[in-house]
Amino acid sequence: MSSPTVATTGPGGTADAGYTRVFAEADPSDVDWLGGKGAGLARMTQQGLRVPPGYVIGTGACRRYLEEGTLPAGLADEVLARLADLERAAGKMFGGGPVPLLLSVRSGAPISMPGMMDTILNLGLDRAAALAMAEATGDARFVADLVARFHAMYAETVLGAMDRGEGIDELVAGVAPADDPGAVYDRIWDACQRALADDTCDAVPDDPRAQLLGAVEAVFRSWNTRRARTYRDHHKIPHDIGTAVVVQAMVFGNLSADSGSGVVFTRDPVTGEPGLFGEYLAHSQGEDVVAGTRTPDPIAEALDPAVLDELGTTCSELERSQGDVLDIEFTVERSVLYFLQVRSAKRTPEAAVRIAADFLHEGTAPAVATRHVSPAHVRQVQRPGFDPGEVDRARSGDRLLTTGIGACPGQVGGALVLDSDRAKAAADAGGEVILARPVTSPADLHGMIASRGIVTATGGSTSHAAVVARALGTVCVVGAGEIRVDEASRTLAVGDRTLREGDEVSLDGSTGELFAGRFPTATPAAATDALAALLAAATSASGCEVLSRVTLPADVAEAMAAGAAGLVTAVDDVLAATGHLDGLVEGLLGQGAGADGFGGIAALVEAEFAPLLAAAGDVEVGVRAIDLVADEARELLQQTAVTTRHPELSVPLGRPELVRAQLEGLRRALRESGSGARIHLAVRHVSDPAEARALHALAEQVGPEIAVGTYLTSPRAAHGAVDIAAVSDVVWLEVRTLQAAMFGIPARQLLTAEPLDGYLRRGLLSCDPRTTLDPSVQRLLQGVAEATDRSGDKVGMRLSGEVSETAAAQLYALGFRRFAVDAAETRPLILALGKAGLAR
Amino acid sequence: MTALSLSRMDYDVLNVVVLKKMATADAVTAVSGVDPTVVSDVLAALADHGLVVVAGGSALPTDGAESALAATAADRYAALRDDDAVAGLVDRFETTNAQFLTAMSSWQQVDMGGRKVANDHSAPDYDAKVIDRLHKLVTRLGPLFEALAGHDPRFARYPERFDAVLAAIDAGDHDLVSSPTRDSVHNIWFEFHEDLLRTLGRERTE
Repeated sequence: MSSPTVATTGPGGTADAGYTRVFAEADPSDVDWLGGKGAGLARMTQQGLRVPPGYVIGTGACRRYLEEGTLPAGLADEVLARLADLERAAGKMFGGGPVPLLLSVRSGAPISMPGMMDTILNLGLDRAAALAMAEATGDARFVADLVARFHAMYAETVLGAMDRGEGIDELVAGVAPADDPGAVYDRIWDACQRALADDTCDAVPDDPRAQLLGAVEAVFRSWNTRRARTYRDHHKIPHDIGTAVVVQAMVFGNLSADSGSGVVFTRDPVTGEPGLFGEYLAHSQGEDVVAGTRTPDPIAEALDPAVLDELGTTCSELERSQGDVLDIEFTVERSVLYFLQVRSAKRTPEAAVRIAADFLHEGTAPAVATRHVSPAHVRQVQRPGFDPGEVDRARSGDRLLTTGIGACPGQVGGALVLDSDRAKAAADAGGEVILARPVTSPADLHGMIASRGIVTATGGSTSHAAVVARALGTVCVVGAGEIRVDEASRTLAVGDRTLREGDEVSLDGSTGELFAGRFPTATPAAATDALAALLAAATSASGCEVLSRVTLPADVAEAMAAGAAGLVTAVDDVLAATGHLDGLVEGLLGQGAGADGFGGIAALVEAEFAPLLAAAGDVEVGVRAIDLVADEARELLQQTAVTTRHPELSVPLGRPELVRAQLEGLRRALRESGSGARIHLAVRHVSDPAEARALHALAEQVGPEIAVGTYLTSPRAAHGAVDIAAVSDVVWLEVRTLQAAMFGIPARQLLTAEPLDGYLRRGLLSCDPRTTLDPSVQRLLQGVAEATDRSGDKVGMRLSGEVSETAAAQLYALGFRRFAVDAAETRPLILALGKAGLAR
Repeated sequence: MTALSLSRMDYDVLNVVVLKKMATADAVTAVSGVDPTVVSDVLAALADHGLVVVAGGSALPTDGAESALAATAADRYAALRDDDAVAGLVDRFETTNAQFLTAMSSWQQVDMGGRKVANDHSAPDYDAKVIDRLHKLVTRLGPLFEALAGHDPRFARYPERFDAVLAAIDAGDHDLVSSPTRDSVHNIWFEFHEDLLRTLGRERTE
């Protein structure tokens, strides 16, 4: 590390009862003792970062306090002895000058929880320290502000005051920099104390040592606030862990012109682009940046070159050693750089993908490089947006109508609607709607939910429309002040242009732009390169085959582009999508009983699969046979009517002619398409080797072109998978259906937020069947993993809905390497499997 | 219609319907505390007066509803409007409200080096800080609720609703921070603000 470590002495006093440890000596892995914050600061210090010195009061002292109801004997002496060490390490004086030592006191439990006392800053500010501070800065106004801030924070967090005293702000504002600091201190302090006495009959101690002990006790006490107790009860966290207290010297970014504070990311967290990205505000404390009262400057422009150089070197070393993009808070005090906090940076999905791809390219260990990119990121990045070339042309032409404030990002197009009732009606009728309103209120909620995009004439980024749109995840632009919505004539005017309701518009929730007309969409090019590199690495790491589920010939190219090794589809889906459902249901319901009853179905299969197979080319294509028992078939195939008339259609081989018709249709479709696809027809709900054998015999009668597979959905089938596989060409197992069967919950409930979200919150299930394989299912799948089909392949796993990274890793660990998934989930699954492979 | 002054119960029920823009009898009871057995009757009477339309089990306000409420509020809350203690607390509410809107933004969006980006809720520490902030801001409204409830006890329902929603959030239901379709912190706050403005006879500025 480039920056020298600030020397921090060991325990100096004689009264060492072992309640405290300095950052430089504490074992960062001992989180139970140090708490999360303390452990982080110990780690940073020991990495050689210049961290303002400090110490941790361990959780043991808190436990003693909670048992005894008072600060344990010897703690006060030890805390004050550490303070003397801290004064030496920081070269500052507590409660005095020439440079006063001020402290931050923070809680830090091993598990973070709400309701705990958070932070007290500027502790140690008595009269002498205030005078010294005024001397050091030459600014009595600065000191007045500091005194008022400290008093309010202490009064609120330690003494439970509700509001900072009235008139204090005005009093501070009335101080001139050249005023006499002693008089200023007395005036502000006395006013604060008086206001506090009115509010709580209490006082902030004048003695800084008493302030320190009061703050420590307040942290301990806050362990048992009602909110903290409720939280621990709910999350089954023991009540006797206790919290640590972090006592740290403060550094001041507002001390001088060569001081300041800032935040830096080791790469751009929005785009992922390499290179430092950050902001710095000279002559300021961190809070000023957060409060947004002043606008910070880019670090490259605002930082002194020597400091910038040190920051850059440290950042790249930290990034390399941690293998992650970091978010670093720092303060410069009189040209000396201090590190306050280092943590994993939050990032956009685009940045997460780009960073992982760049890390791989730069030689970071693949398991480390991919740790912070998730299937959810991939899902976001692959989402298509407006074709950028078209947008440029629209801007330079006359299609850009106006630009408001982007409130919720995304790019969507649709028909303009100016009223929420009509928006809902249009959406219910299948239309894509952009809702434009002068302003929104709760009365517009149904319209906002139904729309793909929302634009309002008034309001800022915290307006009703903005908050609701973000909660809904709906693209939104607010404050487009130039638009005038005329509800009577159902027109929207911008300048001299007038649009009518129903006209097509496009909305960009990032840039805030509203365009006339629609745009063709494309996957963002920048994302594609990085994503392709990342997924290529994932594929080679996992060695898995992922087949994508398609229904129409047009779906094929997209699935293959996403990295599919093959395709799966279903006869009923294809016939539904091509408008032949009625023919199918007629065939099933009708005198289909007769010898040629299913001939019509064979013809339909032939007609509709030929184009799909032609598009597929030479890959593997798994076709699921018509399934009359599936949840999805209930309405689609008039399940009740069909199975009441023909109960034999409820079992997989109840009507061999139906399977034969599909095999025959596929055989003819394959021949007609001229495709080299390897096709199998998989029959759902098979649970017995005898069924598998019968199926195989049936296929042999039709001919060798079409293989037959079994498609396991029940616990019984999973249990007997080895014997079933031995007589099957191909075997699939549907994971969601199996999980649902083991839980006894309808399989469709595993695709929605409710009822399971609420049920899990109530603690009534130990496993979320949507994201995690239950141990009972894992045990069954261990047996399935031993099965191999007639060609020696392992059983393939059919996944549906959104892929869970956890479940993918569990299946990978069980040894499964063949998967099929909804087309849009192809890339997310490839990544999840790659990460599972790399983690091994 | 303009001269109509609503009875206390009519006002309380109609007020909920106007705040929610669409409310079932159950929702009216939950928010107003009016006895569930009488809510349907009150709604039917309001419908007779042309102030609500009841359709599909939900009541929707008509165009006349707001002015009827405004006219009644002028009378009913005359003393409240003259109360200096309330006025002082309402002034402070403006600040708290601005802070609340900022907190709501920081729940939904994260600052990344000066740019706002959607919060993907992947950092529990960050989310916990925002929730802490919401607790503090709601606590800060305590004296205002108390002062308003001194004039009209129905205002005591707000702290109860906030307590319930914050407890549910602490129990892990984070959707209740800003969900537009549930009794979320954002919705309760928004309703309280509307209600307060009507009570005081003021217009919303944003």
